[in-house]
Amino acid sequence: MDSLPILSLMTYSPLAGALVILLWVNAPANAARWIALVAASASLVFSLIMLAMFDRGESGMQLTESFRWLPDVGIEYQLGVDGISLPLIILTTLLVVISIIASWDAIQTRVREYMIVMLLLATGMIGVFVSLNLFLFYIFWEVVLIPMALMIGIWGSANRIYAAVKFFLYTLAGSLLMLVAIVATYQSYFEQTGERTLNVLQLTQGDYSTDFQMWVFLAFFLAFAIKIPLWPFHTWLPDAHVEAPTAGSVLLAGVLLKMGGYGLIRFNLPMFPDASEAFAPLIVVLSVIAIIYGAFVALVQTDLKKLVAYSSVSHMGFVTLGIFAFNAQGMYGAMIVMISHGLVTGALFLLVGVVYHRAHTRLIEKLGGLATNMPIYASFFGLFMLASLGLPGLSGFVGEFLAILAAFREYQLAGIISMAVVILSAWYMMWMFQRVVWQRAPGEPPDPDDPELKLANGDAPPTVAGGSGDHHEDVDPRTLTDVNAKEILTLAPLAALTIWIGVQPGPFMDLMRPALEALLQPFGGTGF
Amino acid sequence: MPLELVHPEWGLIVPLLIMVGTIFALLVADLILPRDNQGAVAWVALAGLVASLASLLTIDWTAGESTFNGMFRADSFSLFINIVVLVAGILAVLISSSYVQSLQERGTMPMPEYLVLVMFSILGAMLVGAAGDLLIIFIGIEMGSLAVYVLTGFARRRMTSIEGALKYFLLGAFASAILVFGMAWIYGSTGTTSIPEISQQVGAIMAGEQLPEPALLLALLLLAVGLAFKIAAVPFHMWTPDAYQGAPTPVSAYMSVVPKVAGFAALARVLAEGLGPLSETWLLLIAILAIITMFYGNVVAISQRDVKRMLAYSSIGHTGYILVGLAAFSEDVPIEMSIGSVLFYLFAYTFMNIGAFAVVTWLQHRGQGVDLDSFNGLGVRSPLTALAMTVFMFSLMGVPPLIGFYAKYYVILAAIEAEMIWLAVAVVLASAVSAVFYLRVVVAMYFNDAEGEWRPQTTPMLGFGLMIMAVGTIALGFFSGPVLDLAMNWVDAFDV
Repeated sequence: MDSLPILSLMTYSPLAGALVILLWVNAPANAARWIALVAASASLVFSLIMLAMFDRGESGMQLTESFRWLPDVGIEYQLGVDGISLPLIILTTLLVVISIIASWDAIQTRVREYMIVMLLLATGMIGVFVSLNLFLFYIFWEVVLIPMALMIGIWGSANRIYAAVKFFLYTLAGSLLMLVAIVATYQSYFEQTGERTLNVLQLTQGDYSTDFQMWVFLAFFLAFAIKIPLWPFHTWLPDAHVEAPTAGSVLLAGVLLKMGGYGLIRFNLPMFPDASEAFAPLIVVLSVIAIIYGAFVALVQTDLKKLVAYSSVSHMGFVTLGIFAFNAQGMYGAMIVMISHGLVTGALFLLVGVVYHRAHTRLIEKLGGLATNMPIYASFFGLFMLASLGLPGLSGFVGEFLAILAAFREYQLAGIISMAVVILSAWYMMWMFQRVVWQRAPGEPPDPDDPELKLANGDAPPTVAGGSGDHHEDVDPRTLTDVNAKEILTLAPLAALTIWIGVQPGPFMDLMRPALEALLQPFGGTGF
Repeated sequence: MPLELVHPEWGLIVPLLIMVGTIFALLVADLILPRDNQGAVAWVALAGLVASLASLLTIDWTAGESTFNGMFRADSFSLFINIVVLVAGILAVLISSSYVQSLQERGTMPMPEYLVLVMFSILGAMLVGAAGDLLIIFIGIEMGSLAVYVLTGFARRRMTSIEGALKYFLLGAFASAILVFGMAWIYGSTGTTSIPEISQQVGAIMAGEQLPEPALLLALLLLAVGLAFKIAAVPFHMWTPDAYQGAPTPVSAYMSVVPKVAGFAALARVLAEGLGPLSETWLLLIAILAIITMFYGNVVAISQRDVKRMLAYSSIGHTGYILVGLAAFSEDVPIEMSIGSVLFYLFAYTFMNIGAFAVVTWLQHRGQGVDLDSFNGLGVRSPLTALAMTVFMFSLMGVPPLIGFYAKYYVILAAIEAEMIWLAVAVVLASAVSAVFYLRVVVAMYFNDAEGEWRPQTTPMLGFGLMIMAVGTIALGFFSGPVLDLAMNWVDAFDV
């Protein structure tokens, strides 16, 4: 390719920003913030240019870049995008910009280091989605780990160190076995063809024995399942989310979890089709368990962030469910759930962050009546709450509906169960919303004209909500100020995309169609 | 046997001659310079090492020439070993000069003597790398070991230093005896001490035989045990924690690398080249040794609070990883990756391990101890040093894109090429275990608050050394192509 190396520019512009901040030793906090914002915005702009250059009719890799790096051992620098990675890349670049804006006021200590970590994380995440060489992919995959652990460990809340170490060890342990699997695949391909390569597209052409596929599939799967996270590999997630700073949670939920789903689609399915089919029933069972388990556990959470974290486990179950149904609806469903979950859950974490920044609490019982003083906030919250529970017309519905439809065709029972669980997600989401936004705040006297109260209490004097009213040390949730312009700036694009995908998913699906069609070829893909 | 007049090829041993010259210069400087003004000798040592490194360019290593009746060989293998030990020597001098000087002011560590010992030990390692004969291997190893025994006890007013040195010396002398005994058995069985001839003889003895001769087996075992001691493989590692902990920190940095490089060079020369025809016998032995070593080192390191002791166990763990490369060797199908990955790992290990010890030295200069708590809050006190230590820790852990990852990757590649997937899995599992204690240092630096007194001090040479190692650890992984090519050339040298 002779034209502009757009993918490299997009991937490394955050890294360049990080280097500038690193070398400018005495940079004031504001300068660091601006440099980070400029670098991340540049990356976003490059990703949009990439979208414009992308040919929607093609199924193969586009805008590829490559140069020889360590050819003796098959390691080459190869980048490319197709319809599967492209939406995830744009999601990433967008969420990084939003995260930086969201951290503008929230992060006040070690701003310089924070922005460096954030930009490194951005480069790692984008790199994961554009790498076509397994070695390069593995590097980016691991590069993501360290900044994320640092972000949780330094800028997180009370129990941050435990969460950071747990996150790091969990994901490292998972990915190390993948490394062995990568090398084994490379060696097996070399023995078949005499060619040393780690190029994903070439490795896909290999013909691996079923036994070999089985264990290599499992090694890859373990790494991705931990990232997704699929039950029972999810235990790191609630800790990491609860302790992470707001922007950390946004990126964790918005992008890092998607890396797992992307890995399954990009590597496991095309390279090991036999093993994929063999393990599909097992994975579907795990997915359904994740969907149910996440929803039930979310129901009983008292901490807003934990509730959203467990809802992530539930939603991401739909991704694996969709993928391993091996039909068109399932793939579309998985992809759209991933994108939608990135937007919606990212936004929900931002909203939790807004309230935490003001009230210094995330406990549902200490909040209430936010609608009184924060109407704009309440509207956004309502929108994303509805999107998360899958209201038709918003993005959440499209993906989950398709995934359930796909499951119905292949595994009826799984379809029925996961359909039923959607009720649960409406339950925990709306109940949470009711308690936080509408219900009387703790310490607030009830409305004397409330007819229902009169009915219940008879003539007794109205009681104060939340018990005795000894909440003086807490901030009264009714006095919180509404979202400011900066916060609206972070929420509005997510809201717009959520509605757009919900109303008109066609263009998004068209973008993915050729790549997904090619992907499903070996599985007798139907339904396009 | 008629006497022949030997005409040695002096050109081939120029790098060693430069080292000898530097040693003489240092000894003379010790006599001439007044006791309280010997700081400049560090520059003499550095100049000698750099000159020796530069003189490597004057020799055509691909020709594989030899001199002194084949005792000394200038081939691609010895080139690589020379590069590693000379770079390690330069780094060791950079990080130790200020430390030695500050102790010298208290009259305990005379600088020129210290440097002379370091140079002797480097010379010994260079000899081992170039050895074409068992005797040269023995001489090189002894020359290096004796110098390091003394260096370990160099902080002679401190009990732990003396203790470590004594333990190292007693056990080391014992191991040397075993090594020589093994060489004697080899000589008894084959009638020669020349490594290429041993290979031929053993090949001839083995031809048509199902099992190796008991005498050869005994020799193999003795050699392996003697060298396993030098590289600190479990269960011959007993001296390591005490010696590393007791030695002055820059010495620990040095002795964790150069004697190990010499040991691995000897193992490769003796096992892979000399006893290559016996490889089926020793491969499994080395593989088991590798697994025991990597798990023992990494698991025990978790329970250490003293960072030097922790790094000692970590270096035992790394011995295990490197042994995997050796275990992937096969006489029948020469796998380039096997010894190549050993060499590359040694190269990578030099940067990251000396770097980790250098940060400990850096902290000691600033009034800190060597336990984990001394690292508390380093991320705030000195962000750049903390960053360097983070790089070293993650590199030792094997996290990409740092050089330690590439090293581990090549080792895993070698194991899988040799169809020993279980060995590759063991490497990654041990790496996952090792993450626990490396991460602890990073946690202390960034997540804990600073405590204790802090004595600001400037140590330009140490800082420069740290910078080189940190940059090397980051960048040399990306550009590992040429280094890897160089490491792969061992195939020509060994003529397998």
